[in-house]
Amino acid sequence: MIAMLVVQIVLSIILASIFLIRPSVTSATAWKILAFIGLCALPFLCIVGGMNTHMQRSEQTQFCISCHAMVPYGQSLYVDDPSYLPAQHFQNHRVPADMACYACHADYSIYGPLKDKMRGLTRIYMQYVSTPPNPIRIPGGYQNGQCLHCHLGARSFEENQIHAAVMDSLKSNQMSCLTSGCHDTAHNVAQLSHVKFWRPGQ
Amino acid sequence: MRLSEIGMGRLLRVSSALIILGLVVEIVSLVWYHPLSFVLFAFVGISLIALGILVYLISLAFVATRSTENRNST
Repeated sequence: MIAMLVVQIVLSIILASIFLIRPSVTSATAWKILAFIGLCALPFLCIVGGMNTHMQRSEQTQFCISCHAMVPYGQSLYVDDPSYLPAQHFQNHRVPADMACYACHADYSIYGPLKDKMRGLTRIYMQYVSTPPNPIRIPGGYQNGQCLHCHLGARSFEENQIHAAVMDSLKSNQMSCLTSGCHDTAHNVAQLSHVKFWRPGQ
Repeated sequence: MRLSEIGMGRLLRVSSALIILGLVVEIVSLVWYHPLSFVLFAFVGISLIALGILVYLISLAFVATRSTENRNST
């Protein structure tokens, strides 16, 4: 995918360079077609391809923790304690390890990726222009839908008696998976200096 | 200033320069692994490329206008 985009960009630069140096070549019909390809069609495809690549890149764990404020959240994925929900999911590959943040924090609605990107831009503003809040809180709280996106329909989840008893409250988001006292240890970054860390391969 | 005074060649040069500049910005944003790389691409790269495409389309309109004027004068 990225190789295809690079080819488009290089081809577009070569064609645009020809028209920059000798615009008079467009008097011939074949060059008129090439001008349309090099100055309109290919650059448009480069915009679409670039946007797609950047959107995919911003779903990666490495991208999320490249912001200074997110570093401790990245570290919390390696906490050696199964009560830490994100660490448990990350270390046991219940979420793709290279997309760990996105898997649990994405908006899975139809315009979700776009909304996520807009929220991401406000976080970039906070990082570079104002000050990120400490501790970082998700606006509107963590939605159960992000858990249920994967867990709903899963046998171990559905057959659990506690889940079955409160299923309607979980689906309607009246009872939170995290703050109800059931799965209340998430990243817990304030306590990172007191916990043991898991090192892959050990 | 009218389009005929600017000339198609000049419009093509401006369009090419803007597109090359935008594509260079896009390459930088793809190589640079940083949260600001998306901002650079979205606000600088896309603007330059889109402006380049727009100038090219204006140059096409210029060709169409000139050929109509030539047809009317003959």
